[in-house]
Amino acid sequence: MKTWALIVDTWREALARYTLLGFVAVSSLFLLVLIFALNLDIVDGALAAGTLFGKAFEVPGNGPAIATVVATGQSVFAGILYVLGVFLAVFATGSQVPNLQHRGTVDLYVTRPIGRTHLLLGRFLGAVTLVTANLLFLCGGVFVIISAKTGVWNPRFLVAAALILLVFLSYLGFMYLVGVLTSSTPLSIMLPYALYLLSVPLVAHDRIAAAMDTRLGVGAVQTLYWVLPKTAEIGRDLTGYVLGRATPAVLPLATTAAFGAVCLGAAIIAFNRKNF
Amino acid sequence: MDTDSTAISVSGLSKEYRHGRRRLRALDGVNLAVGHGEVFGLLGANGAGKTTLVKVLLGLARPTSGEARVRGRDPRRSAARRRIGYLPEGHRFPGYLTGEASLRLFGRLAGVAEQDLDRRIPELLELVGLAGRGGDRVGRYSKGMTQRLGLAGALLDEPDILFLDEPTDGVDPVGRRQIRDVLLATRRQGTTIFINSHLLSEVERTCDRVAILHQGRVVRQGTVEDLTRPTMRYRIRLGEGQSAAPGRLAGEGLDVVAGNGSLEVEVADLPALNRLVDRLRADHLLIAEVSPLRAALEDVFIEVLEGETRAASSDHGPLTTDHDAGGGR
Repeated sequence: MKTWALIVDTWREALARYTLLGFVAVSSLFLLVLIFALNLDIVDGALAAGTLFGKAFEVPGNGPAIATVVATGQSVFAGILYVLGVFLAVFATGSQVPNLQHRGTVDLYVTRPIGRTHLLLGRFLGAVTLVTANLLFLCGGVFVIISAKTGVWNPRFLVAAALILLVFLSYLGFMYLVGVLTSSTPLSIMLPYALYLLSVPLVAHDRIAAAMDTRLGVGAVQTLYWVLPKTAEIGRDLTGYVLGRATPAVLPLATTAAFGAVCLGAAIIAFNRKNF
Repeated sequence: MDTDSTAISVSGLSKEYRHGRRRLRALDGVNLAVGHGEVFGLLGANGAGKTTLVKVLLGLARPTSGEARVRGRDPRRSAARRRIGYLPEGHRFPGYLTGEASLRLFGRLAGVAEQDLDRRIPELLELVGLAGRGGDRVGRYSKGMTQRLGLAGALLDEPDILFLDEPTDGVDPVGRRQIRDVLLATRRQGTTIFINSHLLSEVERTCDRVAILHQGRVVRQGTVEDLTRPTMRYRIRLGEGQSAAPGRLAGEGLDVVAGNGSLEVEVADLPALNRLVDRLRADHLLIAEVSPLRAALEDVFIEVLEGETRAASSDHGPLTTDHDAGGGR
C-alpha cells in the first residue's frame, strides 16, 4: 500500500503541476498532425500519391512499395520520438526529488515508518509508470495511426518505445542522484540534457581519441564514452533497426542501463545518509 | 536509561554539522529521559539545538556521537517509527493535495488501513476544527489551518509518542486553546508528548516536565512545579470595593504593587506577611484571599539563560561551537 501511495502521489503531483497535461498535450498534437495532415494514396501495394498539410508531394517513378515507405517514415518518426520522448520525460520528472526534499515536506515523508530506500524507489516507480503511460500513448498512437493508414504493421517500431524508456530510465537514475545531492530542479533537468548533447560527439570517440596528443586525453575520451549513456549511438541504432537493419548493439544498451543503475544506487545511498 | 518506563531516552548525544571547513556543534552531550505518558517540554532560544534534537529522535538526522532511543529502539530504523506522530516546524504538505488527500497519503505511508483512514480522517478534521475544509487544496490554507492539518496528520495513526515542534506557531488564541485541548485529550489516552516551543506559557500549562537547552546542552531540567518554585511574593486580594494605599505600605520598606483590588507584595518571611495582614486589618480592610506567587517559567528560563551567558563570558568556553549560524535548526 505504501508503494501504491507513492505512485499515486507522483501522478497527482504531475497532474497538479501540469507536467502530465503538457506531456499529453504535446503528444496529442503530434498524433493529430499525423491523423489529419498526412494522407497517402496506396495503389496495388505501392505509394501512388500523398499530401502533407494539404500539399501534394512527389512520388518518384512508379511509386515505391508501401512497406518501404512505412519503414522509412517510421524510422524518421522513431528518431523524432526518441529525442522528443526523452526530452519531455526528463522535463516531466526533473522536479520530483527536489520537491520531495523541500524543507518542511521531507520531514513529513521521512518520519513515517517507511524506509528511505522504499520512499525513493516508490517515487522512482511512480515516475516510470508516468513516463511509460505517456510513451505508450505517443509511440503506440504513432504506430496505430501509420499502420491503420497504410495497412502495414511494422512491429519493429514498437521497439522504439522500449528503447526510449530504457534511455529515460538511465537518465532518471542520474536525475535522482543530482536531485538528492543538490535539491535543484534546474540542475536535475539541465544536466541530463548536457549528457544527451555530450553523447553526440562521443559516437565518434575512436576518431576523437586518435586525434588526441596525450594518453590522458585519450583516456578521458574513452572513459567518458564508456561511462556515460550512449544516447546518440542508441538513437542511430534504433532508427536503423526500424528501417530493417541489424538489431541494436547490446553493449551501448547495457552500459547505458548500468550508468542509470549506478546513479540510482548512489542516489539511494546518499539519500539514506542525508541529514534533513 | 532504556527501561520499560522510558519512552524517549538520549544519552551523551552530540551532533555536529559541517559547513565547508566550519564545524557547527548543534548538540553537545545531551542526556534526557522521558517517561511513558509524560508531557515533556523542550525550551531554548533560537539555535539552541531543539529542532536538531527532535530530528535525531525521529531519524531525520544522524547523531555524531551518543545514542537516541525511542521506545528503546533506534529511530533510524523505519519500524521504530510506527505509531509516532510528528508535527514539524514550518511543515509543508504538498500544496497540490487537498487536506483529506494529504491525510490519506501520509496515513497510507504510515501503514494505516484504508477502512481506518475512512473513519479517522473525518474525525481528525473535526477534532482540529477543519470539518468542511478537508476538500480544499492545502495550498489555499492559512498558516493556522495548515498547522491544524499538521496536528491531524501527526495524530493519524493513534500515536504512542507525539513530537510537536512549535505546535501553536501561527495559530490564533482560539486555535491555541483548541490545540491545547486536543493535546490534553491525547495525553489522557496515555500518549507521551514531546513539545518544542518558544511559547513558555503554553508549555507551562501543558507540560509535566521541561528541560532548558542552551548552546546544545541541557542546562536545567525538572518538573514545572519544581522549576516554578514558590517565592516570598504574595497576592492579597481585598474585599469588593476596598483599596489600600500602597504608598503607606511602601513607606514601611515593603515592595508593593497595587491594582484591581489586590496587592502584590514581596516580604522577607512569614512573620512579615502576617504583620502586613494585621496592618491591613487594623485599617478595617477586608481580606478575601492571600495566595503565594510562583516564579513563571518565563522568569526561570530567562534567569537560567542569563546565568549561562554570564558564566560563558567569565569563562571563554568552547570556541569550536558556533550556534548562531545554526539558527532555525
